[in-house]
Amino acid sequence: MIEALSFAFVQHALIAGVLVSMAAGIIGSLIVVNRMVFLAGGMAHASYGGIGLAVFFGFPIFLGASLFAVAAALLIAYLTLHDRHRIDTFIGLIWAVGMAIGVILIDLTPGYNVDLMSYLFGSILAVSSADLYFMGALLAVIVLVVTLRYRDILAVSYDSEYASLRGVNVRFFYALILVLSALTVVIAIKVVGLILVIAMLTIPVYIAERLSSSLMGMMILSGIIATLFTLGGLWFSYSYDLTSGASIILVSAAGLGVFLLLQKGKR
Amino acid sequence: MKKAVEVNNVSFAYESETVLEQVTLAVEERDFLAIIGPNGGGKSTLLKLMLGLLKPDAGTIEVYGKAPSKSLSLIGYVPQNTNVNTDFPIKVIEVVLMGHVGGKRPLWGYGKEEATCAMGALREVGMEAYADRKIGDLSGGQRQRVMIARALCAHPRILLLDEPTASIDAQGQKEIYELLKKLNSTMTIIVVSHDISVILEYATKAAHINHYLTYHDIRDKSKLFHTHDEAGEHFCEIEMLQMLGAEQCTNCDPTQEKETK
Repeated sequence: MIEALSFAFVQHALIAGVLVSMAAGIIGSLIVVNRMVFLAGGMAHASYGGIGLAVFFGFPIFLGASLFAVAAALLIAYLTLHDRHRIDTFIGLIWAVGMAIGVILIDLTPGYNVDLMSYLFGSILAVSSADLYFMGALLAVIVLVVTLRYRDILAVSYDSEYASLRGVNVRFFYALILVLSALTVVIAIKVVGLILVIAMLTIPVYIAERLSSSLMGMMILSGIIATLFTLGGLWFSYSYDLTSGASIILVSAAGLGVFLLLQKGKR
Repeated sequence: MKKAVEVNNVSFAYESETVLEQVTLAVEERDFLAIIGPNGGGKSTLLKLMLGLLKPDAGTIEVYGKAPSKSLSLIGYVPQNTNVNTDFPIKVIEVVLMGHVGGKRPLWGYGKEEATCAMGALREVGMEAYADRKIGDLSGGQRQRVMIARALCAHPRILLLDEPTASIDAQGQKEIYELLKKLNSTMTIIVVSHDISVILEYATKAAHINHYLTYHDIRDKSKLFHTHDEAGEHFCEIEMLQMLGAEQCTNCDPTQEKETK
Protein backbone atom coordinates (compact mmCIF):
# COMPACT_ATOMS: atom_id res chain seq x y z
CA MET A 1 0.00 0.00 0.00
CA ILE A 2 2.67 2.48 1.09
CA GLU A 3 4.92 1.85 -1.91
CA ALA A 4 1.95 2.56 -4.18
CA LEU A 5 2.00 6.15 -2.96
CA SER A 6 5.29 6.74 -4.73
CA PHE A 7 3.66 6.36 -8.15
CA ALA A 8 2.61 9.67 -9.72
CA PHE A 9 -0.67 8.23 -10.97
CA VAL A 10 -1.63 7.09 -7.49
CA GLN A 11 -0.78 10.51 -6.06
CA HIS A 12 -2.88 12.11 -8.79
CA ALA A 13 -5.74 9.76 -8.04
CA LEU A 14 -5.68 10.64 -4.34
CA ILE A 15 -5.52 14.40 -4.94
CA ALA A 16 -8.30 14.19 -7.53
CA GLY A 17 -10.37 12.11 -5.13
CA VAL A 18 -10.09 14.73 -2.39
CA LEU A 19 -10.75 17.74 -4.68
CA VAL A 20 -13.74 16.14 -6.35
CA SER A 21 -15.18 14.86 -3.07
CA MET A 22 -15.03 18.31 -1.50
CA ALA A 23 -16.73 19.87 -4.53
CA ALA A 24 -19.32 17.09 -4.64
CA GLY A 25 -20.08 17.53 -0.94
CA ILE A 26 -20.68 21.27 -1.26
CA ILE A 27 -22.59 21.20 -4.53
CA GLY A 28 -24.39 17.96 -3.65
CA SER A 29 -25.81 19.73 -0.57
CA LEU A 30 -27.19 22.51 -2.76
CA ILE A 31 -28.58 19.99 -5.24
CA VAL A 32 -30.36 18.05 -2.51
CA VAL A 33 -31.86 21.01 -0.62
CA ASN A 34 -33.03 22.53 -3.91
CA ARG A 35 -34.50 19.17 -4.98
CA MET A 36 -32.44 19.11 -8.15
CA VAL A 37 -31.19 15.51 -7.99
CA PHE A 38 -32.99 14.51 -11.18
CA LEU A 39 -31.74 17.67 -12.88
CA ALA A 40 -28.17 16.83 -11.91
CA GLY A 41 -28.63 13.33 -13.31
CA GLY A 42 -29.84 14.83 -16.58
CA MET A 43 -26.84 17.14 -16.81
CA ALA A 44 -24.39 14.32 -16.00
CA HIS A 45 -25.68 12.11 -18.78
CA ALA A 46 -26.10 14.96 -21.25
CA SER A 47 -22.44 15.86 -20.78
CA TYR A 48 -21.58 12.68 -22.67
CA GLY A 49 -22.65 14.66 -25.72
CA GLY A 50 -19.84 17.06 -24.90
CA ILE A 51 -17.36 14.21 -24.66
CA GLY A 52 -18.41 13.07 -28.14
CA LEU A 53 -18.11 16.62 -29.42
CA ALA A 54 -14.59 16.96 -28.00
CA VAL A 55 -13.47 13.65 -29.49
CA PHE A 56 -14.97 14.49 -32.89
CA PHE A 57 -13.46 17.95 -33.17
CA GLY A 58 -10.29 17.05 -31.36
CA PHE A 59 -10.34 19.44 -28.41
CA PRO A 60 -9.81 18.58 -24.73
CA ILE A 61 -12.45 16.26 -23.26
CA PHE A 62 -12.89 18.39 -20.13
CA LEU A 63 -13.58 21.47 -22.20
CA GLY A 64 -16.12 19.72 -24.41
CA ALA A 65 -17.92 18.08 -21.49
CA SER A 66 -17.93 21.35 -19.51
CA LEU A 67 -19.36 23.42 -22.36
CA PHE A 68 -22.03 20.85 -23.08
CA ALA A 69 -22.99 20.38 -19.43
CA VAL A 70 -23.17 24.14 -18.84
CA ALA A 71 -25.35 24.53 -21.94
CA ALA A 72 -27.61 21.76 -20.62
CA ALA A 73 -27.71 23.49 -17.21
CA LEU A 74 -28.73 26.82 -18.73
CA LEU A 75 -31.37 25.12 -20.87
CA ILE A 76 -32.76 23.34 -17.79
CA ALA A 77 -32.69 26.62 -15.82
CA TYR A 78 -34.56 28.36 -18.62
CA LEU A 79 -37.17 25.58 -18.85
CA THR A 80 -37.71 25.40 -15.09
CA LEU A 81 -38.07 29.15 -14.70
CA HIS A 82 -40.26 29.79 -17.73
CA ASP A 83 -42.29 26.71 -18.33
CA ARG A 84 -42.68 24.36 -15.42
CA HIS A 85 -45.18 22.30 -17.35
CA ARG A 86 -43.80 18.79 -17.98
CA ILE A 87 -40.36 19.86 -16.88
CA ASP A 88 -39.46 16.29 -15.92
CA THR A 89 -40.19 15.11 -19.45
CA PHE A 90 -37.80 17.69 -20.86
CA ILE A 91 -35.07 16.79 -18.41
CA GLY A 92 -35.48 13.15 -19.40
CA LEU A 93 -35.12 14.25 -23.02
CA ILE A 94 -31.97 16.27 -22.36
CA TRP A 95 -30.63 13.28 -20.44
CA ALA A 96 -31.06 10.82 -23.32
CA VAL A 97 -30.49 13.12 -26.29
CA GLY A 98 -27.16 14.32 -24.86
CA MET A 99 -25.94 10.73 -24.54
CA ALA A 100 -27.18 9.83 -28.02
CA ILE A 101 -25.31 12.78 -29.51
CA GLY A 102 -22.15 11.60 -27.78
CA VAL A 103 -22.47 8.02 -29.01
CA ILE A 104 -23.15 9.10 -32.61
CA LEU A 105 -20.28 11.62 -32.66
CA ILE A 106 -17.86 8.97 -31.41
CA ASP A 107 -19.16 6.57 -34.08
CA LEU A 108 -18.42 9.22 -36.69
CA THR A 109 -14.89 9.86 -35.48
CA PRO A 110 -12.58 7.93 -37.82
CA GLY A 111 -10.22 5.48 -36.21
CA TYR A 112 -11.10 6.50 -32.66
CA ASN A 113 -11.64 3.61 -30.35
CA VAL A 114 -12.86 5.36 -27.27
CA ASP A 115 -13.21 3.52 -24.03
CA LEU A 116 -16.82 4.32 -23.28
CA MET A 117 -16.62 2.52 -19.96
CA SER A 118 -14.04 4.94 -18.59
CA TYR A 119 -16.52 7.82 -18.91
CA LEU A 120 -19.47 5.86 -17.64
CA PHE A 121 -17.69 4.45 -14.61
CA GLY A 122 -14.69 6.72 -14.08
CA SER A 123 -10.96 6.41 -14.68
CA ILE A 124 -9.37 7.94 -11.63
CA LEU A 125 -6.03 6.27 -12.31
CA ALA A 126 -5.72 8.25 -15.54
CA VAL A 127 -5.93 11.73 -14.06
CA SER A 128 -3.40 14.13 -15.62
CA SER A 129 -1.87 17.19 -13.94
CA ALA A 130 -3.96 19.39 -16.23
CA ASP A 131 -7.06 17.64 -14.90
CA LEU A 132 -5.91 18.36 -11.36
CA TYR A 133 -5.51 22.10 -12.10
CA PHE A 134 -9.01 22.17 -13.56
CA MET A 135 -10.46 20.40 -10.51
CA GLY A 136 -8.56 22.66 -8.11
CA ALA A 137 -9.68 25.80 -9.92
CA LEU A 138 -13.31 24.70 -9.93
CA LEU A 139 -13.23 23.86 -6.22
CA ALA A 140 -11.73 27.31 -5.53
CA VAL A 141 -14.50 28.98 -7.54
CA ILE A 142 -17.17 26.98 -5.74
CA VAL A 143 -15.79 27.79 -2.30
CA LEU A 144 -15.48 31.48 -3.21
CA VAL A 145 -19.01 31.78 -4.62
CA VAL A 146 -20.60 29.84 -1.78
CA THR A 147 -18.88 31.85 0.96
CA LEU A 148 -19.31 35.29 -0.60
CA ARG A 149 -22.93 34.76 -1.68
CA TYR A 150 -23.95 32.41 1.13
CA ARG A 151 -26.86 34.59 2.20
CA ASP A 152 -28.40 34.70 -1.24
CA ILE A 153 -27.84 31.03 -1.93
CA LEU A 154 -29.36 30.14 1.45
CA ALA A 155 -32.36 32.41 0.87
CA VAL A 156 -33.03 31.07 -2.62
CA SER A 157 -32.65 27.47 -1.49
CA TYR A 158 -34.84 27.78 1.59
CA ASP A 159 -37.69 29.90 0.24
CA SER A 160 -37.25 31.26 -3.27
CA GLU A 161 -40.53 33.17 -3.31
CA TYR A 162 -39.59 35.03 -0.16
CA ALA A 163 -36.08 35.66 -1.45
CA SER A 164 -37.51 37.34 -4.54
CA LEU A 165 -39.60 39.59 -2.28
CA ARG A 166 -36.41 40.61 -0.48
CA GLY A 167 -34.85 41.73 -3.73
CA VAL A 168 -32.67 38.66 -4.34
CA ASN A 169 -32.25 37.80 -8.02
CA VAL A 170 -33.66 34.29 -7.72
CA ARG A 171 -33.27 33.36 -11.39
CA PHE A 172 -29.61 34.29 -11.39
CA PHE A 173 -28.80 32.23 -8.31
CA TYR A 174 -30.88 29.29 -9.49
CA ALA A 175 -28.97 29.28 -12.78
CA LEU A 176 -25.69 29.73 -10.89
CA ILE A 177 -26.35 26.68 -8.71
CA LEU A 178 -27.17 24.65 -11.83
CA VAL A 179 -24.04 25.77 -13.68
CA LEU A 180 -21.80 24.96 -10.69
CA SER A 181 -23.55 21.58 -10.46
CA ALA A 182 -22.88 20.92 -14.14
CA LEU A 183 -19.17 21.68 -13.73
CA THR A 184 -18.95 19.54 -10.59
CA VAL A 185 -20.59 16.68 -12.43
CA VAL A 186 -17.98 17.00 -15.17
CA ILE A 187 -15.01 16.73 -12.80
CA ALA A 188 -16.72 13.90 -10.94
CA ILE A 189 -16.94 11.95 -14.21
CA LYS A 190 -13.18 11.34 -13.98
CA VAL A 191 -13.51 9.88 -10.51
CA VAL A 192 -16.74 7.86 -10.49
CA GLY A 193 -18.12 8.21 -14.02
CA LEU A 194 -21.27 9.86 -15.23
CA ILE A 195 -23.60 7.02 -14.26
CA LEU A 196 -22.39 6.80 -10.68
CA VAL A 197 -22.00 10.52 -10.04
CA ILE A 198 -25.51 10.86 -8.61
CA ALA A 199 -24.62 8.56 -5.72
CA MET A 200 -21.56 10.65 -4.93
CA LEU A 201 -23.65 13.82 -4.92
CA THR A 202 -26.36 12.40 -2.63
CA ILE A 203 -25.10 9.71 -0.21
CA PRO A 204 -22.68 11.87 1.85
CA VAL A 205 -25.20 14.72 1.70
CA TYR A 206 -27.97 12.57 3.12
CA ILE A 207 -25.84 11.65 6.14
CA ALA A 208 -24.60 15.22 6.62
CA GLU A 209 -28.13 16.67 6.49
CA ARG A 210 -29.15 14.54 9.47
CA LEU A 211 -26.17 15.75 11.48
CA SER A 212 -26.18 19.46 10.62
CA SER A 213 -28.17 22.42 11.82
CA SER A 214 -27.05 24.81 9.10
CA LEU A 215 -26.53 24.64 5.35
CA MET A 216 -22.90 25.72 5.73
CA GLY A 217 -22.28 22.95 8.25
CA MET A 218 -24.00 20.48 5.96
CA MET A 219 -21.79 21.45 3.02
CA ILE A 220 -18.56 21.14 4.99
CA LEU A 221 -19.57 17.86 6.61
CA SER A 222 -20.72 16.43 3.25
CA GLY A 223 -17.33 17.30 1.78
CA ILE A 224 -15.53 15.52 4.60
CA ILE A 225 -17.75 12.44 4.47
CA ALA A 226 -17.44 12.27 0.67
CA THR A 227 -13.65 12.46 0.98
CA LEU A 228 -13.59 9.61 3.50
CA PHE A 229 -15.78 7.45 1.26
CA THR A 230 -13.67 8.20 -1.80
CA LEU A 231 -10.38 7.39 -0.06
CA GLY A 232 -11.95 4.27 1.46
CA GLY A 233 -13.23 3.25 -1.96
CA LEU A 234 -9.83 3.78 -3.58
CA TRP A 235 -8.16 1.68 -0.94
CA PHE A 236 -10.74 -1.06 -1.46
CA SER A 237 -10.33 -0.89 -5.22
CA TYR A 238 -6.53 -1.06 -4.94
CA SER A 239 -6.53 -3.92 -2.45
CA TYR A 240 -8.90 -6.17 -4.37
CA ASP A 241 -8.13 -4.92 -7.87
CA LEU A 242 -11.67 -3.71 -8.57
CA THR A 243 -13.08 -0.79 -10.60
CA SER A 244 -12.46 2.37 -8.59
CA GLY A 245 -15.68 4.30 -9.32
CA ALA A 246 -17.94 1.40 -8.41
CA SER A 247 -15.83 0.68 -5.30
CA ILE A 248 -16.26 4.28 -4.11
CA ILE A 249 -20.03 4.08 -4.56
CA LEU A 250 -20.32 0.74 -2.77
CA VAL A 251 -18.18 1.94 0.14
CA SER A 252 -20.45 5.01 0.33
CA ALA A 253 -23.57 2.85 0.28
CA ALA A 254 -22.12 0.64 3.01
CA GLY A 255 -21.33 3.78 5.02
CA LEU A 256 -24.91 4.95 4.59
CA GLY A 257 -26.17 1.54 5.75
CA VAL A 258 -24.06 1.70 8.91
CA PHE A 259 -25.23 5.26 9.55
CA LEU A 260 -28.90 4.31 9.21
CA LEU A 261 -28.44 1.35 11.58
CA LEU A 262 -26.74 3.58 14.16
CA GLN A 263 -29.56 6.12 13.86
CA LYS A 264 -32.12 3.41 14.38
CA GLY A 265 -30.24 2.08 17.35
CA LYS A 266 -30.24 5.53 18.95
CA ARG A 267 -34.02 5.81 18.88
CA MET B 1 -52.95 60.69 4.25
CA LYS B 2 -51.76 58.11 1.76
CA LYS B 3 -53.61 54.85 1.69
CA ALA B 4 -51.59 51.84 2.79
CA VAL B 5 -52.83 49.78 -0.13
CA GLU B 6 -54.97 50.89 -3.03
CA VAL B 7 -56.37 48.30 -5.37
CA ASN B 8 -58.08 49.93 -8.32
CA ASN B 9 -60.32 48.00 -10.69
CA VAL B 10 -58.03 45.01 -10.77
CA SER B 11 -58.75 41.94 -12.84
CA PHE B 12 -56.61 38.86 -12.96
CA ALA B 13 -56.72 35.51 -14.75
CA TYR B 14 -54.48 32.43 -14.61
CA GLU B 15 -54.20 31.53 -18.30
CA SER B 16 -57.87 31.49 -19.31
CA GLU B 17 -59.41 31.12 -15.86
CA THR B 18 -60.54 34.46 -14.47
CA VAL B 19 -59.95 34.73 -10.74
CA LEU B 20 -60.58 38.36 -9.91
CA GLU B 21 -62.84 40.82 -11.69
CA GLN B 22 -62.80 44.57 -11.21
CA VAL B 23 -61.71 44.44 -7.61
CA THR B 24 -61.39 47.78 -5.88
CA LEU B 25 -60.19 48.08 -2.31
CA ALA B 26 -58.60 50.76 -0.19
CA VAL B 27 -56.74 49.79 2.96
CA GLU B 28 -56.16 52.61 5.42
CA GLU B 29 -53.13 52.89 7.67
CA ARG B 30 -53.59 50.74 10.82
CA ASP B 31 -56.50 48.78 9.42
CA PHE B 32 -56.78 45.15 10.41
CA LEU B 33 -58.29 43.73 7.26
CA ALA B 34 -59.55 40.17 6.99
CA ILE B 35 -59.78 38.76 3.49
CA ILE B 36 -62.23 35.90 3.50
CA GLY B 37 -64.14 33.86 0.96
CA PRO B 38 -64.42 30.38 -0.54
CA ASN B 39 -61.50 28.31 -1.81
CA GLY B 40 -60.54 29.33 -5.32
CA GLY B 41 -62.32 32.63 -4.82
CA GLY B 42 -59.11 34.58 -5.28
CA LYS B 43 -57.97 35.43 -1.72
CA SER B 44 -54.37 34.35 -2.06
CA THR B 45 -54.26 35.73 -5.59
CA LEU B 46 -55.20 39.16 -4.30
CA LEU B 47 -52.48 38.90 -1.67
CA LYS B 48 -49.89 37.93 -4.28
CA LEU B 49 -50.97 40.88 -6.42
CA MET B 50 -50.47 43.21 -3.46
CA LEU B 51 -46.99 41.76 -2.98
CA GLY B 52 -46.11 42.21 -6.63
CA LEU B 53 -45.54 38.46 -7.09
CA LEU B 54 -48.29 38.57 -9.72
CA LYS B 55 -49.10 41.41 -12.10
CA PRO B 56 -52.73 42.43 -12.68
CA ASP B 57 -54.16 41.96 -16.17
CA ALA B 58 -56.08 45.20 -15.76
CA GLY B 59 -56.21 47.94 -13.13
CA THR B 60 -53.54 49.20 -10.75
CA ILE B 61 -52.23 48.36 -7.30
CA GLU B 62 -50.30 50.82 -5.19
CA VAL B 63 -48.65 50.39 -1.81
CA TYR B 64 -48.11 53.78 -0.18
CA GLY B 65 -48.43 55.38 -3.60
CA LYS B 66 -45.86 53.16 -5.32
CA ALA B 67 -45.91 49.90 -7.26
CA PRO B 68 -45.61 46.88 -4.91
CA SER B 69 -42.27 45.86 -6.43
CA LYS B 70 -40.91 49.30 -5.51
CA SER B 71 -42.15 49.05 -1.91
CA LEU B 72 -40.54 45.74 -0.91
CA SER B 73 -39.19 47.11 2.35
CA LEU B 74 -42.61 48.46 3.39
CA ILE B 75 -44.29 45.07 3.17
CA GLY B 76 -43.80 42.16 5.52
CA TYR B 77 -45.09 38.86 4.18
CA VAL B 78 -45.91 35.64 6.00
CA PRO B 79 -46.57 32.91 3.43
CA GLN B 80 -48.93 29.98 3.66
CA ASN B 81 -47.69 26.50 4.57
CA THR B 82 -44.84 26.98 6.95
CA ASN B 83 -44.79 23.22 7.38
CA VAL B 84 -43.03 22.55 4.10
CA ASN B 85 -39.28 22.17 3.82
CA THR B 86 -38.89 21.36 7.52
CA ASP B 87 -35.96 19.01 6.81
CA PHE B 88 -33.90 21.98 5.68
CA PRO B 89 -30.89 22.36 7.97
CA ILE B 90 -31.38 25.93 9.11
CA LYS B 91 -31.54 27.66 12.48
CA VAL B 92 -34.40 29.90 13.56
CA ILE B 93 -32.18 32.98 13.64
CA GLU B 94 -30.99 32.35 10.06
CA VAL B 95 -34.59 32.20 8.85
CA VAL B 96 -35.34 35.53 10.54
CA LEU B 97 -32.20 37.12 9.10
CA MET B 98 -33.55 36.38 5.61
CA GLY B 99 -36.13 39.06 6.24
CA HIS B 100 -33.58 41.81 5.69
CA VAL B 101 -33.80 43.51 2.34
CA GLY B 102 -30.54 43.59 0.35
CA GLY B 103 -28.55 46.77 0.11
CA LYS B 104 -25.51 47.51 2.22
CA ARG B 105 -24.11 44.41 3.82
CA PRO B 106 -20.82 42.87 4.88
CA LEU B 107 -18.70 40.75 2.54
CA TRP B 108 -19.38 37.65 4.55
CA GLY B 109 -22.25 36.68 6.84
CA TYR B 110 -24.50 39.18 8.56
CA GLY B 111 -23.91 42.64 10.00
CA LYS B 112 -24.05 43.27 13.73
CA GLU B 113 -27.08 45.52 13.38
CA GLU B 114 -28.86 42.93 11.31
CA ALA B 115 -28.29 40.31 13.98
CA THR B 116 -29.49 42.61 16.76
CA CYS B 117 -32.54 43.52 14.73
CA ALA B 118 -33.36 39.87 14.04
CA MET B 119 -33.11 39.04 17.76
CA GLY B 120 -35.41 41.98 18.46
CA ALA B 121 -37.96 40.60 16.01
CA LEU B 122 -37.76 37.20 17.70
CA ARG B 123 -38.28 38.86 21.08
CA GLU B 124 -41.33 40.62 19.74
CA VAL B 125 -42.99 37.31 18.86
CA GLY B 126 -41.76 35.62 22.04
CA MET B 127 -39.38 33.20 20.33
CA GLU B 128 -36.07 34.62 21.53
CA ALA B 129 -35.13 31.46 23.39
CA TYR B 130 -35.38 29.38 20.22
CA ALA B 131 -32.90 31.39 18.12
CA ASP B 132 -30.37 28.56 17.80
CA ARG B 133 -32.84 25.73 17.38
CA LYS B 134 -33.31 23.97 14.05
CA ILE B 135 -36.48 25.19 12.37
CA GLY B 136 -37.71 21.63 11.83
CA ASP B 137 -37.74 20.96 15.59
CA LEU B 138 -40.39 23.60 16.25
CA SER B 139 -44.15 23.12 16.42
CA GLY B 140 -46.39 24.58 13.73
CA GLY B 141 -47.39 27.51 15.90
CA GLN B 142 -43.82 28.28 16.88
CA ARG B 143 -42.74 28.12 13.27
CA GLN B 144 -45.49 30.55 12.34
CA ARG B 145 -44.18 33.00 14.95
CA VAL B 146 -40.71 32.71 13.45
CA MET B 147 -42.14 33.52 10.03
CA ILE B 148 -43.82 36.59 11.52
CA ALA B 149 -40.49 37.60 13.05
CA ARG B 150 -38.86 37.20 9.64
CA ALA B 151 -41.45 39.57 8.20
CA LEU B 152 -40.92 42.06 11.05
CA CYS B 153 -37.17 42.07 10.49
CA ALA B 154 -37.34 44.73 7.78
CA HIS B 155 -39.57 47.00 9.91
CA PRO B 156 -42.51 46.90 7.52
CA ARG B 157 -45.48 49.23 7.69
CA ILE B 158 -47.84 46.58 6.39
CA LEU B 159 -47.94 42.94 7.38
CA LEU B 160 -49.58 40.49 4.95
CA LEU B 161 -50.39 36.99 6.18
CA ASP B 162 -51.72 34.08 4.14
CA GLU B 163 -53.68 31.60 6.28
CA PRO B 164 -51.46 32.14 9.32
CA THR B 165 -53.35 29.72 11.52
CA ALA B 166 -53.95 26.81 9.16
CA SER B 167 -52.83 23.59 10.86
CA ILE B 168 -52.27 25.20 14.25
CA ASP B 169 -54.20 24.14 17.36
CA ALA B 170 -56.83 26.43 18.91
CA GLN B 171 -54.55 27.77 21.64
CA GLY B 172 -51.80 28.51 19.11
CA GLN B 173 -54.31 30.31 16.87
CA LYS B 174 -55.43 32.56 19.66
CA GLU B 175 -51.84 33.41 20.51
CA ILE B 176 -51.08 34.29 16.89
CA TYR B 177 -54.10 36.58 16.70
CA GLU B 178 -53.27 38.24 20.02
CA LEU B 179 -49.80 38.89 18.63
CA LEU B 180 -51.26 40.38 15.45
CA LYS B 181 -53.54 42.59 17.53
CA LYS B 182 -50.52 43.91 19.40
CA LEU B 183 -48.63 44.52 16.16
CA ASN B 184 -51.68 46.30 14.75
CA SER B 185 -51.02 49.23 17.08
CA THR B 186 -48.00 50.12 14.96
CA MET B 187 -48.73 48.65 11.54
CA THR B 188 -51.41 47.80 9.03
CA ILE B 189 -52.39 44.14 9.01
CA ILE B 190 -53.96 42.16 6.19
CA VAL B 191 -54.86 38.53 6.82
CA VAL B 192 -56.24 35.92 4.45
CA SER B 193 -58.04 33.36 6.56
CA HIS B 194 -60.46 30.49 6.77
CA ASP B 195 -61.08 30.84 10.50
CA ILE B 196 -63.95 33.23 9.98
CA SER B 197 -65.25 33.57 13.50
CA VAL B 198 -61.78 34.02 14.99
CA ILE B 199 -60.47 36.44 12.43
CA LEU B 200 -63.57 38.61 12.56
CA GLU B 201 -63.16 38.97 16.28
CA TYR B 202 -59.86 40.74 15.72
CA ALA B 203 -60.30 42.39 12.33
CA THR B 204 -61.67 45.89 11.90
CA LYS B 205 -62.48 45.51 8.21
CA ALA B 206 -63.51 42.52 6.18
CA ALA B 207 -63.34 41.89 2.46
CA HIS B 208 -65.23 38.92 1.10
CA ILE B 209 -63.82 37.72 -2.18
CA ASN B 210 -65.39 35.38 -4.66
CA HIS B 211 -64.24 36.71 -8.02
CA TYR B 212 -65.84 40.00 -6.95
CA LEU B 213 -65.16 41.82 -3.74
CA THR B 214 -67.59 42.90 -1.06
CA TYR B 215 -66.25 45.22 1.60
CA HIS B 216 -67.44 45.63 5.20
CA ASP B 217 -66.52 47.84 8.08
CA ILE B 218 -66.83 45.63 11.13
CA ARG B 219 -65.41 47.77 13.90
CA ASP B 220 -68.65 47.75 15.86
CA LYS B 221 -69.40 44.09 15.94
CA SER B 222 -72.45 44.08 18.20
CA LYS B 223 -74.32 46.46 15.93
CA LEU B 224 -73.21 44.73 12.81
CA PHE B 225 -74.00 41.12 13.32
CA HIS B 226 -77.63 40.37 13.91
CA THR B 227 -76.34 36.83 13.79
CA HIS B 228 -75.12 37.27 17.36
CA ASP B 229 -77.51 35.68 19.82
CA GLU B 230 -78.83 37.56 22.84
CA ALA B 231 -75.87 36.87 25.04
CA GLY B 232 -73.58 37.78 22.20
CA GLU B 233 -71.65 34.57 22.58
CA HIS B 234 -72.57 32.42 19.67
CA PHE B 235 -72.29 33.62 16.17
CA CYS B 236 -73.54 31.74 13.28
CA GLU B 237 -70.91 31.46 10.63
CA ILE B 238 -73.29 30.30 7.94
CA GLU B 239 -75.65 33.25 8.24
CA MET B 240 -72.73 35.58 8.51
CA LEU B 241 -71.03 34.20 5.43
CA GLN B 242 -74.21 34.70 3.47
CA MET B 243 -74.33 38.26 4.65
CA LEU B 244 -70.69 38.97 3.90
CA GLY B 245 -70.88 37.41 0.46
CA ALA B 246 -74.11 39.19 -0.50
CA GLU B 247 -73.90 41.59 -3.39
CA GLN B 248 -75.57 44.32 -1.42
CA CYS B 249 -74.58 44.83 2.14
CA THR B 250 -77.49 45.87 4.27
CA ASN B 251 -75.81 45.74 7.63
CA CYS B 252 -72.98 48.16 7.22
CA ASP B 253 -73.61 51.83 7.72
CA PRO B 254 -74.08 53.18 4.18
CA THR B 255 -72.48 56.54 5.01
CA GLN B 256 -69.22 54.85 5.88
CA GLU B 257 -69.28 52.28 3.18
CA LYS B 258 -68.41 52.31 -0.42
CA GLU B 259 -69.88 49.21 -1.92
CA THR B 260 -67.84 47.40 -4.44
CA LYS B 261 -69.35 44.79 -6.55
